[in-house]
Amino acid sequence: MTRVRILLGLAAVAVGVGLWFALTAPPDALQGEYSRLLGIHPPAMWIAFLAFGVTAFASIMWLVRKADRWDRVASASVEVGVIFTAIGLFTGMVWGQAVWGTPWDWRDPRLMSTAVMFFVYIGYIALRNAIDDPTTRARRSAVLGTVAVIQVPLVYFSVNLFRTLHQTASIRPDGSSMPDEMLMAMLVNMAAFTLLYIALMAARLDVARVEAEAESAKQPGMAGEGVRPPRLSEIEDV
Amino acid sequence: MSDTVVVAGTYLISYGLIVAYAVYLHIRRRRATGD
Repeated sequence: MTRVRILLGLAAVAVGVGLWFALTAPPDALQGEYSRLLGIHPPAMWIAFLAFGVTAFASIMWLVRKADRWDRVASASVEVGVIFTAIGLFTGMVWGQAVWGTPWDWRDPRLMSTAVMFFVYIGYIALRNAIDDPTTRARRSAVLGTVAVIQVPLVYFSVNLFRTLHQTASIRPDGSSMPDEMLMAMLVNMAAFTLLYIALMAARLDVARVEAEAESAKQPGMAGEGVRPPRLSEIEDV
Repeated sequence: MSDTVVVAGTYLISYGLIVAYAVYLHIRRRRATGD
């Protein structure tokens, strides 16, 4: 628990530093104050991609090793990933309203693929809650967690593959299309959010461990466990 | 509504969601340990 608190404290400081970078970067000439959303929208989506990637890795590890801890890592990472996808969608809609004049376009491949990814991982959580048997739950979740990750490259490259309102990647192999101050604000926030992801994962895994311990303490003993052979001294002469 | 207020509100709601999740985990842990 102490380790979790330290990690959460460090993450809070890092997010504070990131916020300072985002708020002190000069506003964009066209987008004005809305360019400051660079400090939260791309970092949130980066964490969503990272979280779902970790889920896929842990799911494959569960299918190979069948160890409970990989199942716990996969499910914890989905929860954190869904929260950051929700933040990415929400901040994107606010930004879209300001820049495109609409928060949502049902025909847009980037927006729709992100929404589908969000609901598929909500479905992952629903699936886990619908199955009581731990092994069946872990196996079915692992299959879904492994298959669902295909959406991550689809969402990321949708801006290159299709015509979309959303801009293409700002950081490319030939350099960045952003001024240095904005780029720095985005990168610092991405680092801070990565630390936040690690801290939230540690907290979630700690809860899973405590709940598993509490559950096993409640389990009744094995049949026959309470039966002991009578001692000779206890047998009364008949 | 000014742009600054909208951007500040967006940050506030987003961070609020993360804090709410951390509080939810804390409550779940306390419930499991019976503290």
